[in-house]
Amino acid sequence: MNRLIVGLCLCFFTHPLLASDVWSFEQKIAVTAKPVKGVFHHLEGAGRKHIAVSGDSIAVSWEDDHSKDPQIYVTSKKTGDHVFSKKLQVSTGLEAYEPAIAALTGSQFILAWEQDGSVYVRSLSGQRLSMTSRLSTDTASQVSLATTGHNSFAVWREQRGRSWSLWVARLDLDSTGLLVVTSKSRVEPVELDTPVLFPTIAVNDVGLMVAWEDRQSGHTRLKYSYSVDNGSSFSESQYLNEFFSNRNKYDKGSGVTRVSMSAYAEDELVAAWMDKRRGGTGYGIFAALGSDDSFGPNEKVHSKQGDTLPHYNPATAGNNAGNFAVAWDDYRQGNSDIWISSYNEDDEWSIDFSPKPASGKGEQSHASIALDNQGNLHLLWIEREKIDAPSRLWYSYGKPR
Amino acid sequence: MVSRMLYYISSLLLLLSIFSEASLAAPPEGYQFLSLTKAMKQSSEEQKPMFLYFGRYGCTTCRKMHKEVFSDAALNDEFAEKFVLAYVDTESGNRIRLPNGERTTEMQFASRNRILGTPTFIYFSGDQKPLFKRAGFQSIKQMGLFNEFVLDGHYKTSKLKEYLATK
Repeated sequence: MNRLIVGLCLCFFTHPLLASDVWSFEQKIAVTAKPVKGVFHHLEGAGRKHIAVSGDSIAVSWEDDHSKDPQIYVTSKKTGDHVFSKKLQVSTGLEAYEPAIAALTGSQFILAWEQDGSVYVRSLSGQRLSMTSRLSTDTASQVSLATTGHNSFAVWREQRGRSWSLWVARLDLDSTGLLVVTSKSRVEPVELDTPVLFPTIAVNDVGLMVAWEDRQSGHTRLKYSYSVDNGSSFSESQYLNEFFSNRNKYDKGSGVTRVSMSAYAEDELVAAWMDKRRGGTGYGIFAALGSDDSFGPNEKVHSKQGDTLPHYNPATAGNNAGNFAVAWDDYRQGNSDIWISSYNEDDEWSIDFSPKPASGKGEQSHASIALDNQGNLHLLWIEREKIDAPSRLWYSYGKPR
Repeated sequence: MVSRMLYYISSLLLLLSIFSEASLAAPPEGYQFLSLTKAMKQSSEEQKPMFLYFGRYGCTTCRKMHKEVFSDAALNDEFAEKFVLAYVDTESGNRIRLPNGERTTEMQFASRNRILGTPTFIYFSGDQKPLFKRAGFQSIKQMGLFNEFVLDGHYKTSKLKEYLATK
């Protein structure tokens, strides 16, 4: 009898928390109109920052080709609304790709995107877009954003001939809504002769962290660098993903790609990425938690039932209240679905959870997430009837239980 | 699964590179790998079979094959003379256009089609028909047999598995 009681107690205390125990998801709300033949939506920005929450406003940004050429759009709604506003075209050039969005205070947002080989920003207040500001000097792409209050930062990559650089700009909003560059610095002290790719950025009240893909060592590693002076200078870069090289003499380490990073609590960080350390089963989702200027050990995010499949497109979110989450897509249920995990009470990654509005029939993929300070998890994703079908964007949010 | 494979293969036939960053790719040295767009055009014009290599920067097995297999002089000569070679980096952000009109990246294209690992090789006939796919390490002998299966037209009368069983 005593053994039974002990067993039941153990079961109770070791019951792995589901992310579904944390959030209860509402019905989905259409962000874009019904799928139209030949029109495709993309959420492929560096760091996967396509949704943001400011006060009682939610805004999302994406690329689609409904006007024939790919352009960037934004739409928004109030938290209680069941429809999004009429979309606004953000980009102004011939072709535009890979947007990012972040929240400013007072229901305002900052948007960044690649356009005709340069990187631009502009702000959104209500239904009004500011004038655009160009951030880059040379050929540029893969911009991402982070904000804290009125402080906005953008990171992007530039290519000059065969040389590559990561740049960070601090941006101030002037009285007309124009984003003004107040400082601009290179993250690595010198230009590199190998590419830097898909940077992501996170900021809190104590500092600014940048993470990216680096190819200096003959394969892809994730690196990070920290700034305590609002991006005027950066620490010597460190490796984010752990080094695995154990198969044969040709093994220089497991592949990694597409890191996403968010700040949470006062000075904490979560970074998540696709990692090939599992070998033939494709990419796993791995993460590291950090504070101040460094990260802790790498942790596998997805739970056992997803161990034999590849996982794609990780996105992170965090809030000042101390919540954080990772979302991704995989096809363990046949078709692609969105999956979410967060820490449980034992500071372990929870059992994976697929929110009902973002799973089931069809292909749901490319999640982007944001956490508001009440702990609501706002979720944006792409849905297709089948993998080559036209697409549509959907939104849902999970209330904390 | 079959429809996904068909989509994957048919997409390859019409894939168009929007732009590329050659420095991101890492095909074996001493081979004339082309962008997929150029390779498809050349293969079609010359009616030469196409060898498509899905690789990844830093891929261990790719590196092993480069050193131990693609370094073989006879194999190099055969590929150079009798095939058109194409290389796709499965982690790259290079933009491509799919047959349904969608523009996406090479990486998204590979992940959507569930390319699990690199290297993955696909052989096409001179009239651009996908013949077979092989993933992972292949020896010099295996590569030679694959080439023979394609170049000698054995694919017209038998499946690869059946052909290899006779060797």
